[in-house]
Amino acid sequence: MFKGFSLLFMLLLSLTAHAENWPAEQWSTGPTLSGPAIQALETYAFPPRDESTRKGIRTDALLVIRDGQLIYERYAGPTTADTPHLTWSISKSLMAAVLGVAYGEGLFKLQDPALKFYPPLLTHPAITMADLLHWASGLDWQEDYEYAPLKSSVVAMLYTRGHHDMAAFTSDHAEYAQPGQAFRYSSGDSNLLAAALKNIVGPARYPDFPWTALFEPLGIRHAVWETDATGTFVASSYAYLTARDLARVGLLMARDGRWGDRQLLPKDWVAFNRQPFDRYRANQDEAVPGGHWWLNRAADSAAQPWPDAPADTFAALGHWGQAMYVIPSEHLVIVRYGDDRDGSYRHNELLKRARMAFTGKVQP
Amino acid sequence: MNRRSFVRRRPFSTLWLILLIALLGWIWQERVALWAFPDIISAYTAKEYCSCRYVMNNDAVYCRGYVKQWLPFSAFTDDPVSKQVMVSGIGRSNSAMWIGERQGCRLTP
Repeated sequence: MFKGFSLLFMLLLSLTAHAENWPAEQWSTGPTLSGPAIQALETYAFPPRDESTRKGIRTDALLVIRDGQLIYERYAGPTTADTPHLTWSISKSLMAAVLGVAYGEGLFKLQDPALKFYPPLLTHPAITMADLLHWASGLDWQEDYEYAPLKSSVVAMLYTRGHHDMAAFTSDHAEYAQPGQAFRYSSGDSNLLAAALKNIVGPARYPDFPWTALFEPLGIRHAVWETDATGTFVASSYAYLTARDLARVGLLMARDGRWGDRQLLPKDWVAFNRQPFDRYRANQDEAVPGGHWWLNRAADSAAQPWPDAPADTFAALGHWGQAMYVIPSEHLVIVRYGDDRDGSYRHNELLKRARMAFTGKVQP
Repeated sequence: MNRRSFVRRRPFSTLWLILLIALLGWIWQERVALWAFPDIISAYTAKEYCSCRYVMNNDAVYCRGYVKQWLPFSAFTDDPVSKQVMVSGIGRSNSAMWIGERQGCRLTP
């Protein structure tokens, strides 16, 4: 009798340990939370919105997933739960996930020269797929949006000289360093990956590939991904998803590329995404680059970029305050959309207050 | 009269001449970027307005504010039937068009 009871107890324990929440057509919702910690988070994320000066923190959406359940959601400005919001450079990390599916099919290797899949790179034959994923092509790219518009490669690529064929525009740049030797954040590198994908999966599969490979398996129904005139996805900038849908990609990443019982992204692919690029030098950017994701890791003798979040935190980040933070150790995915026109928003502050509100934890 | 005495007699003219040559050199060096530069404001406005309006489905008034920059544009048309947006500014015109449910907007041509 006693033995049978303990066996039953063990069984129940193992059942709860393995019970995992996954979103179906909608996210299941957890308990509604309130209290001073939530208030402190909202005070930071949702101050009164100034539409005339556009100054300060202007959050459009804040959504939190814990243990696969939606536990917090709030929208502001024109954005609602149904808005496919522009993700800007979060698109880059989404392209990494799309590439991961092709990688899982064995269609390319990280050390393959990108030239193998994108012939116009003939002038830069040594650039590998891994180099592009590390933003380390060595191409002399100027990533600056508003402050140096004449010299900005990214403005020219999106709006003027490069918009017909963004990958070709990128490959026309000279090299300033040997490929793979130095980090320099480049939207051009991301669009070279998008162009390479065309031959990796073949032109017949390519136009639907982000949907068939990633969005549909995850139950994402309303994703938009704009292309240039050659049909190449603008992997650097132009994917649009609702906050709820983007969080599905976050959950996929939090669970090492597994969706339900399907390993959609190979584990070694996700490990590569989360491995710091060893040529990154301290303070080159706001976080540490991995394989097209951003990591909260100490690197090159500099401290973690976000001291109030655990070291396993990683993120997809975009212009004007777009962010998705994944904290596997705390089973959290946080999506934050914004329209920040100045630099006042701080990832660390948001993470600090979100962790207080949803885990009750403060980083020592 | 040698070159040295010209510099002495006309120091300001010489300085202006050097600056002019430097400026022309810079213009020549940056000619491609300079020629494309005036397109930025109209192309940016057309593309990002189109996506704001027809991809993110925000209302027209919001989207006009969303794309507002420090440089004004001179003409703006948004045809809701063809979902085509045309913007002119600093002597250049650019248009963007909604392509489809998955592809969103793109600069045309």
